[in-house]
Amino acid sequence: MFYREAGQFKSSYKEDQAIFPILQDRVGIAAILLFAYIAIPFVMSDYLIGAIMTPFLILALAAIGLNILTGYAGQISLGTGAFMAVGAFSAYKFATFSIMLGGAEATLPLVVTILLAGVVTAIVGIMFGIPSLRIKGFYLAVATLAAQFFIEWLLVKVGWFTNYSPSGVITAPPLVILGFEFNTPAEKYLFTLTFVAAMALLAKNLVRSHIGRGWMAIRDMDIAAEIIGFRPLQTKLSAFAVSSFFCGVAGALWAFVHLGTVEPEAFGINRSFAILFMVIIGGMGSILGSFIGAAFITLLPIFLNNVPPLIGWNIGVDMIAHLEFMIFGVLIIFFLIVEPHGLARLWTIGKEKLRSWPFPY
Amino acid sequence: MTYQDVKPGEVLLAVDNISLSFGAVRAISDVSFDINKGEIRAIIGPNGAGKTSMLNCINGFYHPQQGTITYKGQKRSAMKPYEAAAQGIARTFQNVALFKGMSTLDNIMTGRNLKMKSGIFSSMLWYGGAQKEELEHRRYVEDIIDFLEIQAIRKTPVGRLPYGLQKRVELGRALAAEPELLLLDEPMAGMNLEEKEDMCRFILDVNDEFGTTICLIEHDMGVVMDISDRVMVLDYGGKIGDGVPAEVRANQQVIDAYLGGGH
Repeated sequence: MFYREAGQFKSSYKEDQAIFPILQDRVGIAAILLFAYIAIPFVMSDYLIGAIMTPFLILALAAIGLNILTGYAGQISLGTGAFMAVGAFSAYKFATFSIMLGGAEATLPLVVTILLAGVVTAIVGIMFGIPSLRIKGFYLAVATLAAQFFIEWLLVKVGWFTNYSPSGVITAPPLVILGFEFNTPAEKYLFTLTFVAAMALLAKNLVRSHIGRGWMAIRDMDIAAEIIGFRPLQTKLSAFAVSSFFCGVAGALWAFVHLGTVEPEAFGINRSFAILFMVIIGGMGSILGSFIGAAFITLLPIFLNNVPPLIGWNIGVDMIAHLEFMIFGVLIIFFLIVEPHGLARLWTIGKEKLRSWPFPY
Repeated sequence: MTYQDVKPGEVLLAVDNISLSFGAVRAISDVSFDINKGEIRAIIGPNGAGKTSMLNCINGFYHPQQGTITYKGQKRSAMKPYEAAAQGIARTFQNVALFKGMSTLDNIMTGRNLKMKSGIFSSMLWYGGAQKEELEHRRYVEDIIDFLEIQAIRKTPVGRLPYGLQKRVELGRALAAEPELLLLDEPMAGMNLEEKEDMCRFILDVNDEFGTTICLIEHDMGVVMDISDRVMVLDYGGKIGDGVPAEVRANQQVIDAYLGGGH
């Protein structure tokens, strides 16, 4: 079967505006989901699932969050790590809320805890988004950098956030939903996958609605957007709120599902930059791009690490580490030069080419 | 605020003695004019005469230091552009101001934003309310696409379109808001003869079919004199002529302004 848009005629606007209007896309997504749900938990080792697949999915969720803000609404943010930290620590506070009061162990359901953490992050995100009404571009990036350093500092300094843990490290409660405990890496992976897939769908729906169009209008030409009736205040702050919600949920998953025990340093400026790179490399303004970017940044180093031994090239471990950095850096620069709109754009171009293949004229 | 309904032929928008200056530069000085409902009103004048500033005052982008603007019988206080949009004033720009990263369809859909009410949560869930609303507005937007004859470029990102088509899409975006007053800032600048004729036809059709009041700025005298009901002439921020095309053409001050004084 060739990938073809031609010949698939739509007879109603409803069909034309479906989320995957092309048959091959629907088949592809179904295949990927089936593979992710059924094949990966059985085929991959626990180590690969726990150390690679789960963090990849969580970082993809954070990248979707940042993509909403930077890719769709055009507001550059360097505070993603901090927003993830807010999500992680507020999830922890909600989970230990009843213990603090002297009651039983975690009484709030796990999913509610994670979603509430997202809501708290959304509120924090709105607060740090207020400067965006006055400043743009690089200056806004610097303002969000302030959020990054301030929140990290606050979480280290104020003991209340860690329930006065002497080491400043928090330990996540066991992951239990309706009496079922998620213990093995495969179970945790399936939990994450469900969360991320559902939220990616919500994000995709949102960005193709009139709210998403408002964000893109503000991004492309803010004055014209205001003149046709978008309110800059509401549009920008809603982007900050939704973006922070996604980052907060990602942070809560990172703490509860992936790491188990976390300290604020896990959400440092490096994390913010890594997620920004995922968005830039994957593709600004693309949900698919968030996944591609996250895969590129998290999977490629591991791949590079394993290639020399596989092809029988015996070099030292330190050499491999250096090579990994160099190749990784070169690839980032290469992609930014060849395709500044990200890897997702390559996919779009490929689709357009296939439309007329093999007779382009 | 209560706005009266205005019948065709009555004053829709009145500008009284407005002055606008940026520091020491006087962009508009003491200009009064009115726009009647259902007419095509042109503003002409040499470069830098204050025409675009006048449109910017009308849609709330600039706030004149003196004078009042009365819209539908109601004196208007200083307002934001999006408030003016909510009152039924739409416009296009001298330099095309489309959203370059979006398709033609999405660009025109943004024009419907004030009529779309579904919230964040229902938009996230999509099925149900949000989808129904989206399809309703899509139907309206498709009518505009048919009207402007841009069916073929529906899904094309507007950044890739030629200039003439971009202007047409921008008109579509303004029309999608179902405006009562449509402000067009040089809708035919940089077009060839054929494109100009198309644009003229669209402007006349919009005025005729939807009853939309149009206020336009244009440099092509032939076009202005042909399609507009009344013409106002600005020069150096002041009004030097106002009336039906024939009157304006005969006005000595206007002739001087265009050909240079002292003839």
